[in-house]
Amino acid sequence: MSGDIRFYGAFKDELGLKTIPSRRIAKDTYEIFIGPQHPGSGHMRIIIKVDGDVIVEAEPDIGYVHRTMEKLGEIRGWIKPIPLFERMAIHDACNITLPYVRAVEKLMGVEAPERAKYLRVLLCEINRIAAHLYGFAIFGIFLGHSTMYMWAMGDREVWIELAQELTGARLTHSYPVPGGVRRDIHDEYPDMVRRAIRYMRKRLEDYRKLFLDNPVIKSRLEGVGVISKKQVVELGIVGPNARGSGVAYDVRLADPYEVYDQLDFEIPVFEEGDALARTYVRVEEIKQSMNILEQVVDWLEKHKGEPIIHESVSSKYGPVHKKVLQEQRRAKLLPLHATMKVPAGRAIGRGETARGEVIYYVESDGGLNPYRVRIVTPSARNAIAFKYALPGHKVMDLPAIYGSLDYFPPESDR
Amino acid sequence: MVLDVVEAILGFPPVWQVLVVGFGFSLLVSVVAVWFERKTAARVQRRLGPYWASPRLGGLLHLVADMLRYAFQQVIIPRGVDMTPFLVAPIVGMVISILPVAVVPFTSNPQYWPLPPGAMEYSLLIALAITTLPPIFIVAAGWASNNKFAVIGGLREAFIITAYELIAILGFLAVAAAVGSFNLAVIAEAQNPVKWFMLLNPLAFLAVIIAVAMSTSAFPFEIPESESEVVAGPFTEYSGLLYALNMGGAYMRRFIYGILIALTFMGGWAPYNPGEGIFAGYIVPSLIVTVKALIIVLAISFLRAVYGRYRLDQALDIAWRLTLPLALLGLALGIIQAFIGLA
Repeated sequence: MSGDIRFYGAFKDELGLKTIPSRRIAKDTYEIFIGPQHPGSGHMRIIIKVDGDVIVEAEPDIGYVHRTMEKLGEIRGWIKPIPLFERMAIHDACNITLPYVRAVEKLMGVEAPERAKYLRVLLCEINRIAAHLYGFAIFGIFLGHSTMYMWAMGDREVWIELAQELTGARLTHSYPVPGGVRRDIHDEYPDMVRRAIRYMRKRLEDYRKLFLDNPVIKSRLEGVGVISKKQVVELGIVGPNARGSGVAYDVRLADPYEVYDQLDFEIPVFEEGDALARTYVRVEEIKQSMNILEQVVDWLEKHKGEPIIHESVSSKYGPVHKKVLQEQRRAKLLPLHATMKVPAGRAIGRGETARGEVIYYVESDGGLNPYRVRIVTPSARNAIAFKYALPGHKVMDLPAIYGSLDYFPPESDR
Repeated sequence: MVLDVVEAILGFPPVWQVLVVGFGFSLLVSVVAVWFERKTAARVQRRLGPYWASPRLGGLLHLVADMLRYAFQQVIIPRGVDMTPFLVAPIVGMVISILPVAVVPFTSNPQYWPLPPGAMEYSLLIALAITTLPPIFIVAAGWASNNKFAVIGGLREAFIITAYELIAILGFLAVAAAVGSFNLAVIAEAQNPVKWFMLLNPLAFLAVIIAVAMSTSAFPFEIPESESEVVAGPFTEYSGLLYALNMGGAYMRRFIYGILIALTFMGGWAPYNPGEGIFAGYIVPSLIVTVKALIIVLAISFLRAVYGRYRLDQALDIAWRLTLPLALLGLALGIIQAFIGLA
């Protein structure tokens, strides 16, 4: 079954990629516009041409939820873009904003204290698990498996509650700020995390029994939507989709940020490159994220009371703010943050979100606003995969491939 | 005078059976089956399920509320549709899906058979012949809708017909072969009290169950209406009451198949022996058959909580490569049973 891909009227170009120019396709094809008003399309449109039941050409038509993130980032100071950029992937909020914060920190020349770094990693991994569960839920309902949808959405609640306990918000936390983080954990928090991990490990076993080892689901995913290792490299596909095709690339490993170089974890890589491999990568990543979380809360327990925000910020605190920081372990943002000026320069921030690598290029002219914020999100880079993974498959494979790519239009469209 | 005519029409056993058992019971069964489907799926999925429409009954009346909503909803008819088949297909399809009840005996007492005993000799064949008709109207509904998703959904339905139809008929015929009669009453009576064909001929029983699941778009064969690709399949352009008729049709067909399975594989009214009089001779055995049919409907509905859906070619593959040999083996087993006189 695996590797049995038909190159439907296609030839390979000089890069070795499957391409199908439209003039080579028979005239009696049927063009279907899937989306944007379609239960299985998300906020995008996939234009497919089918010959009988086989997709011969697929065109992802993106941009339906474009919100001018980059332009808005240039007009509202240095702090307000943080809650703005969270809206790209609200269930992955810390992962998607952390690189921006780090780029601004680089320009300012400050570095977050050790404890703040661990706290950032803590929320990043909680977000990663929640985002993968969200992906599973959508994947499940795409394949008609409503139980997987409800289970994953329900178990995601556990991690959302953890994030809420940590930051005060369920989804858009705005947790990392230049110089540190906004809150510290309370004493019971490490045990809450350990309980959640115990629960999730048990649930993953249930998922395996009901979903991953389900003969129906397996037969839908095996050998479907294969993206070869070479294609992944040429197309620039990132994240779990790349790791499902045998490319061992993860920013946490390639360019460790925060405290990822001090933590012991593995990057799951599968060679097959089909929808099943991509699904397995996400399952393994949830397990690895839970290993990271265990190490992080152990460290946090041993290093209580250390600063959570850089002293260039906390030294400007008045008595009230100092009291809040000491007693409630909350770092308040000062009015001066709103009119903060950042030294002129350029900086790059990279981070690994649940869906892959996100890159921020931040340029400052020394003014009140960023001069330019360029964002490259993982979904924007993965969108091209539709064009090459879909042709040759049946129409019914479309949701299987879409779900396995875990493509998230708001993140891609920015 | 007029009352006499009305009474004569309504008193004619096939009409009576179609109206009461067909429409009445199948509506009731639909309510219970949909409620059960939602409630068990909710239990597996760790949530409550329907609740607020009638908290004391556990949300049992939710479907009634749904149907009321459908009944008063605006029926939007797109400009591009082929009007006559668009309107006729769901209504006729639904009526025809209930018609097999007109020839089904619910008792061994010939006094209450819907047809005269001579015609009853072919009741299984007539019922099976009628069950093959409704899919045509689903395909017609999809074609008349003038919508790409509806056409693809109708096409898928047409593919699925080729997969399950032969299997269902062969599976039922295995029992007819074993008993040596097409008379449903004789078949049911031959199984009294516990010589049920689901035990004697499990191969045919399994084949028929799979065929029924395919025929009525149950999971894992919910392919023509697969939401994530073809929206609602042949019913994409339907709204209001017409949509409810279309969706209810699947449950009704499941129930009608359930009655046939109850009679041929689950002993019909067994272990009860129908006696004389309307109560002991007709009402009690027909209730027993209905309950057995309900069990079949609920069992098939429960699959929703466990399975995703197969791809179309995989479903056809299962039908032709796995289930058809199963049905043929079941038929052979039925003939052997007839030969050695087991049944």
